[in-house]
Amino acid sequence: MAALLEAKGVTKVFGGLTAVDAVDLVIERGSIASLIGPNGAGKTTFFNCMTGLYRPEKGSIHFDGHSLVGQRSDQIIGLGIARTYQNIRLFKGMTVLENVLVGQHVRMKASPLGAVFRSPFQQAEERQAKEFAQELLEFVGLGGEGETLSTNLPYGDQRLLEIARAIGSRPQLLLLDEPAAGMNPRETEEMIDLVHRLRDVKGITVFLIEHDMKVVMNISENITVLDYGKKIAEGKPAEVRANPRVVEAYLGPGVLVDTSGGLEKKGEKL
Amino acid sequence: MRKTFNIGLIAFAILTYLTLIGLPTRLAGATQPVLAVLLALFVYAVLRGPARETGMGLGQLLQHGLLIGLVAGLLLVVEVGFFNSLLGDGVKIQPVFDQIVPLNMAAMLNVRAGTVLNGEVSPIAYAILALYLALAGVAGGLLVHFTRSGAAGSMRGVHIPGTRWFTILLPFALFAFIYYLGLDGVTTFGNDKNIIRLLLVLMATGSGLFALRAAHAGLEQLIIGALLAVVLLCLPFVLNQFQNSVMNIVFIFVMMGLGLNIVVGYAGLLDLGYVAFFAIGAYVYAFVSAPFSSPYISALLTGMGISPQSPLLGYWSAIPLAMLTAAIGGVLLGIPVLRLRGDYLAIVTLGFGEIIRLFMLNLGDLTNGPRGLLQIAQPTLFGVAPAALTTHLDAQGWIFLLAILGSAVVAFVAIRLNDSRLGRAWVAMREDEDVAQATGIHLVQTKLLAFAIGATFAGLAGQLYAARQVNIFPENFSLFVSIDALALIIVGGMGSIPGVVLGALALKGLPEVLRGVDEYRIVTFAVLLIVMMIVRPEGILPSARRRRELHSEDAELPVDEDEQLEGGHA
Amino acid sequence: MEKQALSKLFIRLFGVVVIALVVWRVVTVGIAEGYPTSFWISQGINGLVLGGVYALVALGYTLVYGILFMINFAHGEVMMIGGITGFFALQFAAAQGWMEGSTAVVVAALLFILIMGMLGSVVTGVTLERLAYRPLRRAPRLVPLISAIGASLFLQYSVLLIFGVSPHSYRKPDLISGGIRTGDVFIPYTGLIIFFASVFLMLGLYLIIQRTKLGRAMRAVAEDKDTAALMGVNVDAVIVATFVLGSALAGAAGVMLGFHNTVVKFNSGFIPGLKAFTAAVLGGIGNIPGAMFGSLILGMIEALGPSALGIPTEYKDIIAFSVLVLILIFRPSGIFGEILSEKKA
Repeated sequence: MAALLEAKGVTKVFGGLTAVDAVDLVIERGSIASLIGPNGAGKTTFFNCMTGLYRPEKGSIHFDGHSLVGQRSDQIIGLGIARTYQNIRLFKGMTVLENVLVGQHVRMKASPLGAVFRSPFQQAEERQAKEFAQELLEFVGLGGEGETLSTNLPYGDQRLLEIARAIGSRPQLLLLDEPAAGMNPRETEEMIDLVHRLRDVKGITVFLIEHDMKVVMNISENITVLDYGKKIAEGKPAEVRANPRVVEAYLGPGVLVDTSGGLEKKGEKL
Repeated sequence: MRKTFNIGLIAFAILTYLTLIGLPTRLAGATQPVLAVLLALFVYAVLRGPARETGMGLGQLLQHGLLIGLVAGLLLVVEVGFFNSLLGDGVKIQPVFDQIVPLNMAAMLNVRAGTVLNGEVSPIAYAILALYLALAGVAGGLLVHFTRSGAAGSMRGVHIPGTRWFTILLPFALFAFIYYLGLDGVTTFGNDKNIIRLLLVLMATGSGLFALRAAHAGLEQLIIGALLAVVLLCLPFVLNQFQNSVMNIVFIFVMMGLGLNIVVGYAGLLDLGYVAFFAIGAYVYAFVSAPFSSPYISALLTGMGISPQSPLLGYWSAIPLAMLTAAIGGVLLGIPVLRLRGDYLAIVTLGFGEIIRLFMLNLGDLTNGPRGLLQIAQPTLFGVAPAALTTHLDAQGWIFLLAILGSAVVAFVAIRLNDSRLGRAWVAMREDEDVAQATGIHLVQTKLLAFAIGATFAGLAGQLYAARQVNIFPENFSLFVSIDALALIIVGGMGSIPGVVLGALALKGLPEVLRGVDEYRIVTFAVLLIVMMIVRPEGILPSARRRRELHSEDAELPVDEDEQLEGGHA
Repeated sequence: MEKQALSKLFIRLFGVVVIALVVWRVVTVGIAEGYPTSFWISQGINGLVLGGVYALVALGYTLVYGILFMINFAHGEVMMIGGITGFFALQFAAAQGWMEGSTAVVVAALLFILIMGMLGSVVTGVTLERLAYRPLRRAPRLVPLISAIGASLFLQYSVLLIFGVSPHSYRKPDLISGGIRTGDVFIPYTGLIIFFASVFLMLGLYLIIQRTKLGRAMRAVAEDKDTAALMGVNVDAVIVATFVLGSALAGAAGVMLGFHNTVVKFNSGFIPGLKAFTAAVLGGIGNIPGAMFGSLILGMIEALGPSALGIPTEYKDIIAFSVLVLILIFRPSGIFGEILSEKKA
């Protein structure tokens, strides 16, 4: 497998705090990879560096032959990286279908003039966009909700809608920021299934931040661990799980490692 | 009880205010009944809510109403008595309170001014005033009781058969009545019949919007829309010059409102300097069609090998020029403010509006300064003035016709754009700029398009305005034009096209009807603006989207009860 | 690929060009016109006085914005009401013969007038908050702005209707009608009083905000209303207190401007209000020192700008607004940034 995205020495500083410190990272094309670490480890900051929200002070990020540093976020999604947000950020006043249509914005071409005169091209494009949006909603399991106002969706469905909006841009790489946060076990199962289908059916490479270790260990082919902005480990789930530095970062020093059943402390499952 | 007493104090404060602004003088003999009606409505408004919540009985309602009426009435009597005793002693109150003069106080008590001056007002006159107001309080309580029992069954979900058709047919009935009146040939300015007919025209046009909304989407709506368009287009031929001049300004502001609606309503960019583009459109047309020749423009033309003449361009050939110049203005003023957020944007655009006006005022060589540009050419129909073709269409009516057509074109463009990739991008940008950009929306391009398209519409409106005014001056383009345009889209319902029309009818049309009480126009408007924001911030005819937003964000807003306007087909 | 850096560079370059052009213009005009130094000093003093008035009003905008995130568009009218109230207090004092008394009596009378004006503004400001703004606290931003525009019109035209169209003329007592003359420089007493009173009042405000319990509560509410309420801060009371402080300063400005310009009218709060708001934005709205410096800068620009650039004084508003636009292009949240509200950005 070839590298779809390659980050080298990415560093982002806020005031005196180095939120992301010289992180190297490779995402293989067609893989499902995870980024984990304790709260404040710099995971979302790294996402923001990848999607153009922040500009890293040092380092380079190359995606599919393009350098991402210094590009605006609307250019980056054009190159094929879409994302979701930790604290869901839907367009609240829009319907579910409209949200997915906005997601396709970057792949649509009709000009305002075309819209005023309803050129055949514009009409065909609108029709296709609506069909594609409906298809995506069915893909994530929101097929019947097209006309619902997005804020009126239940929490779990809002996360699904964010994913539908993101894949509306036909990305090669999808970044999911805590997709299973706040979900019940059944919804979490469905989310795991959806992530697999994204890769297997849609052929999208997935890179996700997640706190739920069950999800991470279940679906990731490769895991990168950040702590205080530094990369402290990476590798297959089993390797990461056995890495003493990771355990220390999560639980503090001196905790026993049970390699068979995952990490445990005082009955609290990670 | 204590709370009710306080409400009585508020009622007294309002009555005092009305006295201080000299309302009694204007109402002469009818002062006491009018004040009583106002107080009754006030009591109704404040008691309605509590009555619904606590299930107050009739007896309680009457008690509360009476208490409010008594408190307000007695205090007012004491106040009037105090002023009268001062006036009777020859104290001049006018240097402080301009309207506290014998005439005003006498009108309040329905006596002759002389009796106030001589200090001879009988106690009975005071008693009558107090009685009026006490009874008004009781009447307000009764009103709450009756509307409550009537409304409980019919308004809440139960559909009254025929309401929808009534809504749909009402505008046609009104228009028919106007056309019937139109045959009597009333053309004098300012007489009552004239004003009443103007009010009818405003009501008919406004009710047309509700009819369109009540109609089922599809063929029915199409037919009703077409019929309404036909009756509207006939209006300029039957109205007189005064009515036409009011209606054309209404529709010029519809064009403006639709443009500003794109900038503020769709794209969420709070622009308080929108008048700048209106002014650009007007001045560009004036430059090419008024006899005043600026040395700069003459030099420019000679340089280009065109001999300066007047008019340089006709109305129709100047349209692209006015639109283009305004659009360029929109982009040029848009570029520096791209990075600014809400309130900063508001003040900077406001500054731009003022800068443009000050330039017009001070660049005398170009704009003739405060003396204005005079004798702007009138639009023609294939080179012929329409007045030469028919006696039924006066100059103002012709402008009205053009304003209707212009509004239709602008509305068409706005509807098409709203329902397109660009329209969705505007809304997305308004809701969350960062996410919109991360979704692939080019912020600079999208914002500038909003500014440019909004400015184009304003330029078009400005050009027509210049033709309407014939002579334009810098003071025609003050900050208040921007505020008017903003207020009308908010009153009508942000982001809603019928809302813009309704807002223009209400804010530019109604005040003309109220010319009789001219001084009170602006305060009335101001109070309505505040009350409107508190009671119904989404506007009278909100777009479906905006209504959802306002009501999902804030559950505390009062639920509106005007659903019956839509005939139960929400 | 480095497009962002390129656009930043472009903006910087543009800034340098603008500054260079202005400097060139100022230098050439300065050489050509050759105004005497005393002229510049007089103009500079005018600028300071103007800046002091703007600052008093701008602080009201900034305080309210810092806490409620709304533009109190009617704040200029609150100031005007202070001026009107002050006018009637002056009439009253004159009728009692206080204005011709000994120095101590006149000073006491002037203080009385100032306090009455502040009181008038405070009553107006608090009523406004209660009736027109409080019901809208949770509404989207545009809604309170429109309500404030309504309030502004209401106040202007009510004053017109109630107190009549004729302008109300302040008659200065002899004590403050002269001025100091040193060489060619003339400083009117009212100017001096305005400047020092402004500084004094601003110092008071600063102390209230930094040193008192109320100030701490205000900062807490500005930071996060809900959390402040959970911590036992009475949010409504703090907001009312904010309006009281802002209105009192505006009232003082209204009275002093009345003495300085000798006339108060129904619309005499509008333009100063607009300017003060501009000044608040210039300094970074919500930021108290920012409002003070923004006001002084704006006052100086208006006083010195037209002569320095060699253009007619009618263009002073254009210069003021152009400076605002230029500064906001380079620093989109004002010179000093939004301190009170940066978390809400």
